[in-house]
Amino acid sequence: MSSRAGQKQASRAVRDYIAREKRRTRTLWATIAAVAVLVIAGLIGWGVVASQNSGGFTPPPGAVENGTGIKVGSGPVQIDIYEDFICPVCGQFEQQTGGTIDQLVAQGKAAAVYHPVAFLDRASSTDYSTRSSAASGAAAEGGKFREYAKALFAQQPAEGSAGLSDDQLIQIGRSVGLGDAFAQAVRDGKYKPWTAHVTDAASGDRVNGTPTVRVNGKDVQPTTQAIQAAVG
Amino acid sequence: MNVTAASTPVSPTFMSRWRTAQPWLGTLVRLGLAAVWLAAGGAKVGDLAGSGRAVNAYDVMPYDLAKVIGAALPFVELALGVLLVVGLATRLAAGVSAALLVVFIAGITQAWARGLQIDCGCFGSGGQLAAGQSPTYGPEILRDLGFLVLAGFLLIWPLTRLSIDSWLEKK
Repeated sequence: MSSRAGQKQASRAVRDYIAREKRRTRTLWATIAAVAVLVIAGLIGWGVVASQNSGGFTPPPGAVENGTGIKVGSGPVQIDIYEDFICPVCGQFEQQTGGTIDQLVAQGKAAAVYHPVAFLDRASSTDYSTRSSAASGAAAEGGKFREYAKALFAQQPAEGSAGLSDDQLIQIGRSVGLGDAFAQAVRDGKYKPWTAHVTDAASGDRVNGTPTVRVNGKDVQPTTQAIQAAVG
Repeated sequence: MNVTAASTPVSPTFMSRWRTAQPWLGTLVRLGLAAVWLAAGGAKVGDLAGSGRAVNAYDVMPYDLAKVIGAALPFVELALGVLLVVGLATRLAAGVSAALLVVFIAGITQAWARGLQIDCGCFGSGGQLAAGQSPTYGPEILRDLGFLVLAGFLLIWPLTRLSIDSWLEKK
């Protein structure tokens, strides 16, 4: 009797042990699977970014040496202006201070380097930031970067809208005297890789928002007074 | 004697109620935290370059590293959301969630302490704030602490109803 009861107890202990081991194995596999899911997810993101870094771009004529912006004028002081064509504060900045910068350039006091970054593609349903920046590159090719940029800001679409269409971008180009080569460049998206380069380089230079203004490499408030004071 | 007599009538009912409610409460917590990750990852996954810029705005690492982290993060967040929805390796997912949230809170805190003017980029957007906008670091940290409480619950009680984990447990 007692030995049979003992045997029963022992076999139950063995069964429990086996069940515990099985559960442990299942938990281990569940953990491995979950870790694999997380690691693969991270690698997908990495892979997407790595594949986007193709690097091939052609800067438009008038661009600075490293291709990160369009240079206007040749004064001794350099003003860097980082703008996104859909950014409302950039539109206000252009209205209030754009003329002052044009003046400083015309007087030979400063050279302005415009960096048309595409930070706000998510603010329109059609990547207006990228398309407008690329169009401004095409305008630079036609020698009318500033004229075109001012016209774009004057007709700035609202954030959250579809932005202006390519046809509208071309129409604005015609209104400042740009021709068929410009229209073709806009349609082909000729300067989109350049826009990506401008945007990426700006981030690398710790530009985290628009408008950002730097005078001789130093951050300056985007106001008329601050810029005039910094240029001297 | 007195102590046991006083405590026994209360605790068994409370404990048994807790034992019934806890796995279901855990399911709510699990799905809640899953929704947070799916929303956070989903908002960022369409603009990986923007996500990299948002990480870069914290100004704690070189841009090249920020780009990689910013690109990987939305996918990891989505994966955590999926793991939590199906309830697979919940304790691990909760642990990774808690670790990420601690990193986020640390990042926001250092931005606050250094006086950076940025959007946390927690659910998309991110980067420097426009002139006139002020940062909302306090509420952002409180929100993340709330999510951390959810993750903590699942770390302590990972077995919840309607989960692969509990199905594997019974098998």
